[in-house]
Amino acid sequence: MNEAHPFFAAIHLSAGYGRQPVLRDISFTLEQGCLAGVLGANGCGKTTLLKAICGILPHAGRCTLQETCLEQLTPRQLARRCGYIPQRSGISIDLSVLEVVLMGFNPQLGLLEHPTPAMREKARRALALTGLAHREKDNYLQLSEGQKQLCILARTLAADSQLLLLDEPESALDFRHRYRILDLLRTWAGKGNGSALVALHDPLLALNCCDQLLVLSDGWVQACLTPGKDALPRIERELAAIYGPVSLQYCTGRNGQRQIVLLKEPD
Amino acid sequence: MNSIRPSMALLTVRSHKTALLCTAGMALLIVLAVVSLFTGKYPLTWQGLAGGDGMQLRVFYTLRLSRTAVGLIGGFALGAAGFVYQTVFRNPLASPDVIGVTSGASAGAAAGILFLSGAAAVTAASFAGALAAMGLALALSALDQSGKQATIVLAGIAVHSLAQTALMCLKLTADPERELASIEYWIMGSLNGISGYSIGGNLLLCAVCVAVLFLLHRQVVLLSAEEGEARMLGVSVGKLRLAVLLVATLAVSAVVSLTGLISFVGLLAPHGARLLTRRNDAGTMLLGGILGGVLLTGADILARSVAATELPVSIFTSLLGAPFLIVLIVRGRKGYE
Repeated sequence: MNEAHPFFAAIHLSAGYGRQPVLRDISFTLEQGCLAGVLGANGCGKTTLLKAICGILPHAGRCTLQETCLEQLTPRQLARRCGYIPQRSGISIDLSVLEVVLMGFNPQLGLLEHPTPAMREKARRALALTGLAHREKDNYLQLSEGQKQLCILARTLAADSQLLLLDEPESALDFRHRYRILDLLRTWAGKGNGSALVALHDPLLALNCCDQLLVLSDGWVQACLTPGKDALPRIERELAAIYGPVSLQYCTGRNGQRQIVLLKEPD
Repeated sequence: MNSIRPSMALLTVRSHKTALLCTAGMALLIVLAVVSLFTGKYPLTWQGLAGGDGMQLRVFYTLRLSRTAVGLIGGFALGAAGFVYQTVFRNPLASPDVIGVTSGASAGAAAGILFLSGAAAVTAASFAGALAAMGLALALSALDQSGKQATIVLAGIAVHSLAQTALMCLKLTADPERELASIEYWIMGSLNGISGYSIGGNLLLCAVCVAVLFLLHRQVVLLSAEEGEARMLGVSVGKLRLAVLLVATLAVSAVVSLTGLISFVGLLAPHGARLLTRRNDAGTMLLGGILGGVLLTGADILARSVAATELPVSIFTSLLGAPFLIVLIVRGRKGYE
């Protein structure tokens, strides 16, 4: 990693709601092509961190993406660089799945312009990637919550952002799609498209899919972990501070791939 | 960089069903327009008009044509503006009253009736009242830099209350026999008294505003997302919402200052269009406008033909609209079959 010029850096980030501080002076960096997970108990500041980075929430400190200060960008400029997937999308009117994905091209369009055929094609490819190709004409509101998340992910992937911020994208997904969504992000980041920061509730998913883990506790960065490199006892220790006593073991699957297995020990 | 198609593609009606509904709606609108031209106390005939009957031609050009134009264009504008209000506020009950504009128009009209003379002066006063209410609501909401949707709604409620208070004060000072009755009649809404001399500016403003709203349709849909999500889609939420509401409210102000308060059209027409198409595309907005025109023109025809004296048009917009909406809701709730 280039320490002097990281791909993304959060520098002394503090944020909260009203006078209630939630994030307290957080600093960390991400390298390009990295899939980073944010772990922490409820209320530790995962969502606040993502909202602060993408400027939805007023904050102190700053964030840089390829040395560009995000706070100085207009919404349009910011949206060209960062994609944000909230826990639940706020779309509440009848729109087709394809129309929702096409919304992602707005930063590339003028006020009165309309998506091009090339954009429509790209949107269809993104839908195919998330397994929703057959639903493009369906009403977005009639999708399940998990399918809605996949649709919003397709919208974000289609928009060519450099930094993806995802807030618990796995929360409404079944077991298979949880891994699928993380695999998609890993492939996307691995191709050098950019980096993704994903708030997760499932530590097992985070340990097996993310390159880097940010463990938040009460608004602070308690630890920065690298699951493939850090020793299991250290990871156990850091996770125990959030989830109580846990045991980690390596287990080899039928395909020969080594994965971490997490067991909850009695408190 | 991708090549960008011109924005006129916004008006492309992609859905075959929507196109069919719009065509049927337009056909109905044309039929109603013809009926409207020939309905009224003074009988008009094809033969009389073709034969150059002076009185018939004068009634046709100065009264019927302008009245029908206001019914069609005004109804269309109320329907299209209603679509915008409901989408931007993500609220099926949203209407121009959300930001107090109809109350401002009422107070303005009441002031015009009391202190000015002539129908054109009342129209101008009503328009000024509507603009003042809109300006005040938007200025109050601009005090909160966050651009939150709730701020506009709260500002609208405050302006609505202020305008209602002003209206009550004006009514108290009105002569109960003449002026008070005129104010009440204006508030009930009517296309009676519209003449070719007083509508040109309003209808032009209305048409321009509606055209701008159609051009901004994609932005209107983006505003339907939650504020944070819309911002992350590159939308300057606060500024764009103010601009869109300003244009929609100008269109409504131009109509209500001519007609008085017309209930239900701005609420029902976009609902009806959405229930018919199950979409929110530009075609559905167009259908909402067409339904608005059908409803207002149809109600106006009934208002001047069912009784010896002309009745307020709002009675018929509600009488026609409510059953239509109920049928659509019941049809929509049948669910899986």
